[in-house]
Amino acid sequence: MSVNRKRVWLENFFHGLFLTAAMFAVISVIAIIIMIFSRGLRPFFPNNEFGTYNVFNFVTGLNWRPNFGEFGVGYMIINSLLATLGAIILGVPLALLTAVFIAEMAPKPVAKLMQPAIELLAAIPSVLYGVFGFAVIAPAVRSISPNPTGDSLLSVILILTIMILPTIVSMVVTSIRAVPKSYKEGSLALGASRIQTIFKVMLPAAKSGILTGVILGVGRAIGETMAVILVAGNPEGGIPNTIFDRVRLLTTNIVLEQGYAAELQEQMLFSTAVVLFIFIMFINVVLSKIQRKAGDL
Amino acid sequence: MINQKVKDSLVTSIIWLAALVAVSILIAVVAFIFSNGWSLLSRDFLMNHYEDSIRFVNFQSTQTYKLPFALEENSIFSEDLGMVLEQTEKGYHVSYIDDYSPVKAAVDNAGELFPVKVGYLIEEVNGQVINNQTIGQEVLARLSAEDNITIKVRMPGGGVFPMVVSTLILVVVTLLFAAPLGILAAIYLVEYAKQGPVVKTIRFATEILTGIPSVVYGLFGALMFVGVLGLGVSILSGALTMMILLLPVMMRTTEEALKTVPMSFREASYGLGANKIQTIYKVVLPSAMPGIMVGIILSIGRIVGESAALIFTIGTFAKLPVNPVNGNLSIFQTGATLTLRAFIEVKEFGNVEMACAIGIVILVIVFTLNTASRFFTRKFSKGNF
Repeated sequence: MSVNRKRVWLENFFHGLFLTAAMFAVISVIAIIIMIFSRGLRPFFPNNEFGTYNVFNFVTGLNWRPNFGEFGVGYMIINSLLATLGAIILGVPLALLTAVFIAEMAPKPVAKLMQPAIELLAAIPSVLYGVFGFAVIAPAVRSISPNPTGDSLLSVILILTIMILPTIVSMVVTSIRAVPKSYKEGSLALGASRIQTIFKVMLPAAKSGILTGVILGVGRAIGETMAVILVAGNPEGGIPNTIFDRVRLLTTNIVLEQGYAAELQEQMLFSTAVVLFIFIMFINVVLSKIQRKAGDL
Repeated sequence: MINQKVKDSLVTSIIWLAALVAVSILIAVVAFIFSNGWSLLSRDFLMNHYEDSIRFVNFQSTQTYKLPFALEENSIFSEDLGMVLEQTEKGYHVSYIDDYSPVKAAVDNAGELFPVKVGYLIEEVNGQVINNQTIGQEVLARLSAEDNITIKVRMPGGGVFPMVVSTLILVVVTLLFAAPLGILAAIYLVEYAKQGPVVKTIRFATEILTGIPSVVYGLFGALMFVGVLGLGVSILSGALTMMILLLPVMMRTTEEALKTVPMSFREASYGLGANKIQTIYKVVLPSAMPGIMVGIILSIGRIVGESAALIFTIGTFAKLPVNPVNGNLSIFQTGATLTLRAFIEVKEFGNVEMACAIGIVILVIVFTLNTASRFFTRKFSKGNF
């Protein structure tokens, strides 16, 4: 009887241990949200020890000048959107076509070499892409730019494009390869050309994998910080008029000033994180809605 | 029909072009890193400290030595010490040391063994300054004193040894937290949980964790671990931050691995009279091990490559994370990882060469991990079942 009771106790103990470990994810999310939000929302309520700030001015403000007590992240939201959008417009078609090449058109030995190479490139830390952007892309942009510096929206878009390229390509290649062979054979047997088969049969069939790849790429582009800092220029305000203007993104704002910020400025960095958090959750919800809809079709 | 053919060949050429562009850009990135960093790379780069350091060491000459090879120009040989010094514009460098030379048994002022090595710069002998103006004969005369000789040596820096050590310690400490946590959590989800609100909440939480950008983890870590828990800017704070960041990856890969273990394995184990814990520990986990290894390897890659989550939790100082009081390595001290240092080199000093040299080291690590995970995946997919 006692052996049995000990065994039951042991089973319960381990059950509890496993459950606790699994609940740690939930606890972490709650802790992160409480910590970031409690700091980040404080400046917008009265009785804040470092003075209050109008939440409307914060979200729509076009200048971030801590020395003048001005904290607007409106332009950073727009810049983040522009940079991500630009990277998607350039990167997704390029990645899609490259993936089609690797999966369907490349000679076998070439494809065999390219796929692991692309996967390896997806694992390169973003800082190294940033170094490349700093030393190659920014100077190249400067040579065609009307502005005296190569740090610009264009440089940011290019570096993000390069960075998300391998991520999307390797995901799309996998999903195209997963399309049943019979689809392709059926299409070819009906007299469709190879190109028609790829674009009318294979890609639609691989749609959900392609979307997953794009979502991963978007996630990497929005969250990217360190590589962007090196080529963005990080001005104190203003929406870019041309792609050659300097930009500051939500992510870079946090890292740039976290090292020395204090009091209200420090709280405002947490406020920036709150905006970034909501921004990303919003985009994730939209993307997963699109993905679900695409799955239904 | 002709129209279709023209269209097809046009699209085909566009695809070839796109692939060519994409591949050449990516090759350019890797080629850039290698071509810029290659010249800096050497054994010294990996083994030297970042900054020069200076020590005073003592030794005593007891016999005379012979040089086994011809002396080069600009070099002098001390018969009493069995040591060749080469004169450069910086001063006198040690370029050769006899196997039985007394400088190999030199002790520092604290009385600890501190052997002089090739590459060190000798700046003082018995309190008298030596620089590149000093004549060779004079240096030899000073080095051949009868009694105890004290010399001031400068160990050249310019290396990334502290960052290599910090990165290694960070990887080990992070995995000590993250791996058990992720594996235990995955065991719960696969072996215990029934569909319901608890599982839904956990899944939702991991999804949110996946979406949070690393800079927000960094902000959280700086507030929670550095500030509230009082761990300071240290390896431990960085490891705890990385633990949360890695949780979703560890959980998902382990879950996948556990799910591929056939139900019949568990049934057979139960049939033999084993209980649930024994089944998990002795049957399920060993079978899922290669898959779990893939998760751990992927996590190591993430730790090595991470920067935004670490910059304000682990710090950016290019020094070993040692306790200043007793000189031991400590996880409560600050130290930069390789990737962080590459960032700082470019951001603060515009030193692209150094960043690229560090980049090569990182690329080699990433490449090795990638190959290892491929190996485990292949082993896993062949499987023992």
